[in-house]
Amino acid sequence: MDRTGLGKALACWAVFGIVMCLLPFVVTTGTLRVFIFANFLAMFAMSWDIISGRTGYISFGHPFLIGVAGYTTAMLTYHLDVPLFLSIPAAVLAAMVAGTLFFVPALRTRGTYFALVTLAFMELLYGLTQVVQPKITGGTRGLSGLPSVVSGAVPNYYLSFLVMFAIGIVLWLIVRTRIGTALSAIRMDEDAVKSTGLNTTKLKLFAFMVSAAVAGIAGALYVHYLGSIAPRGIFEINFLFTILVAALLGGPGTIIGPIIGAFFLTCLLEFLRPYIPGTERYLIYGLVALVLYYYAPKGLYGIITWVLERVGVIKPEGAKA
Amino acid sequence: MTALLELRNMTKKFGGLTAVNEMSFEVNEGETLGLIGPNGAGKTTIFNLIMNELKQNSGEILLQGKEISRLATHERVKRGIVRTYQVPRPFAEMTVASNIRVGMMPDDLVLMISEPPDTAKEREIGKAVGFGDRELAMYPSELSMGDLRRLELARNIAADPKLLLLDEVFAGLTVGEISQISDLLVEKKKQGLTYIIVSHDLRSLAPLVDRVVAMSFGEMIAEGSFDEVISDEGVQKAYLGH
Repeated sequence: MDRTGLGKALACWAVFGIVMCLLPFVVTTGTLRVFIFANFLAMFAMSWDIISGRTGYISFGHPFLIGVAGYTTAMLTYHLDVPLFLSIPAAVLAAMVAGTLFFVPALRTRGTYFALVTLAFMELLYGLTQVVQPKITGGTRGLSGLPSVVSGAVPNYYLSFLVMFAIGIVLWLIVRTRIGTALSAIRMDEDAVKSTGLNTTKLKLFAFMVSAAVAGIAGALYVHYLGSIAPRGIFEINFLFTILVAALLGGPGTIIGPIIGAFFLTCLLEFLRPYIPGTERYLIYGLVALVLYYYAPKGLYGIITWVLERVGVIKPEGAKA
Repeated sequence: MTALLELRNMTKKFGGLTAVNEMSFEVNEGETLGLIGPNGAGKTTIFNLIMNELKQNSGEILLQGKEISRLATHERVKRGIVRTYQVPRPFAEMTVASNIRVGMMPDDLVLMISEPPDTAKEREIGKAVGFGDRELAMYPSELSMGDLRRLELARNIAADPKLLLLDEVFAGLTVGEISQISDLLVEKKKQGLTYIIVSHDLRSLAPLVDRVVAMSFGEMIAEGSFDEVISDEGVQKAYLGH
C-alpha cells in the first residue's frame, strides 16, 4: 500500500473510531448493549480470521480458546478473589499456553482434518468442564456472580469498543507487513511457500499465538461483562458458527471484514427480533449468508472495496504493486 | 574440488515400485547439468528428494560436502537450493510483484514485520526475467504459460540461489517463449549460476548444459557431454524403445 493509500486507510479507521465513540450520545442503552455484543463478536471473529482467514487452516475450536480464558479468570476471581488486573492477563496466558499445547500438534494436519481436530478439542473441554471438579468449574451450571470490569452500559460499551478497536488496528498493521503476505501465501500453496525458504510452521505458530491471545483477551472480558460462564453458553455450536459466519460474511483474511461482518450480523439479528422473535431469525441470517457467499465470496469487505474502486476512491489491488 | 551437490546411492521406493535406484551423480559449482530420460524415469522424483518433498529410502545428499538429508525443505532453500515445478505454482491471489516478494522474504519474523518490502529489488528481479511494471501488477491468472514459468524463475532468483533445479521449464511453451526462457538461462549460466535442468525438449537443452545424465526406470544409463549421451545406444533404446 502506498502512502496515499495508507493515509486513506488510517483516515477510515479514525472516522470509524470517532463515529463509534459518539454512538452513546445518539442511541439508547438497549442499542448500546447490542453494540457491546457486536464488539465482542468482532474480537472473536478477528481472532479466528488471523489464523483461519489468513492461512486457510479452518479452526472449529475457537470456543476452546475463549473457554480456557473465560474459565481461568472466572475461577481465579470466584474462588480465590484474584483481582481482575491479574486474572485477565493470567487468562490470556492460559489461552496461549493451552492453544500451543493442544492446537500446535493439530497444525501438522491440514484441511478437514485440522477443522475436525480443533472441533474435538472444543467438545473435549465442553465435557471436561461439566464432569471434572464441578466444585471448581461450577459443573453444568457454570459460575455466576463474577465481578465486572466496569459497570453500566456506556462504560462497558467504551471498554469493549476500545479493546476491539486496538486489537483491530494492531492486527491490521501486522497483516499489512510481509508476515501478512506470507500467511496469505500459506493459504494459497503451503508447499510453494516452503520452497521459497520460509519456515511455515513458525509462521503458523505466530499466527496461532496471536489468535489465541486475542481470543483470550476477548474471552476474559466477555465473561466479566456477562458476569457468568457456563459450558452451554461458551461451547455451544451456534456460538462457534456465529463467529465463523461473522468472519466469512465480512470478508475472510482481511481483519476489517470480520469487524464489518460482526456488526452486520449482530444488527441483523437484533433488528429482526421484533418481527421474528424466535430462533427462526437464524433462517434469515442463514439465507443472507448463503446469498452473500454465492454472489460475493469475498464478503461485505469485497463488495465495499469493489464499489470504492469503481468510484475511484481506492486503486485496484493489482495497480498497487 | 568438492562438488556443489552430490547424490550418493539414492533410492526411493513407492511400495513395490522402485522410482529411483542407487542413483549417484554430482554437479560442480558453475556447472549446468541436464537430467534426461523418458516419462517415468524418475527425474522429478530426484528433484523431490533433493528438496525433501519426498524422503529417500536410502542414500545421501551432500551440499558442498555436508550431508543435508535431515534438513527440512526451507532449510535446504536457505542453504541455496531452489526449484521450479513442472506445473507452475504461483500464489494465485497475489500480483506478480507480491509473488516475487514472497521469494525475497527473510525467514525471520522480526525482520518481516520491521522492514518494509524492497519494491526496487522486486522491480529489478522482475526486469531480469523480462517483466515490466505492467506485468508486475498483474495476477497469475492473466499470464501466459511462458510468463508463469518466468514468474517461477523470478521467485527462485529472488531467493539468491546457489543451485537451481529446473523441472520441464519448456513444457507447454511456444517457440518464442522457449527462446525467451532459453536466453534467460544462457544469461544466468554466463553469470555463473549452477543448475540442473530436466527437459524432454532435447534441442532446447543442448546449448544450456555442460553435461548430461540420462535415466531410465530410476537408474542412470549414461553420463557425459550432450552429444555423447544422445548418441548412446542405451539412451536411444530408452527413448525409442528399440
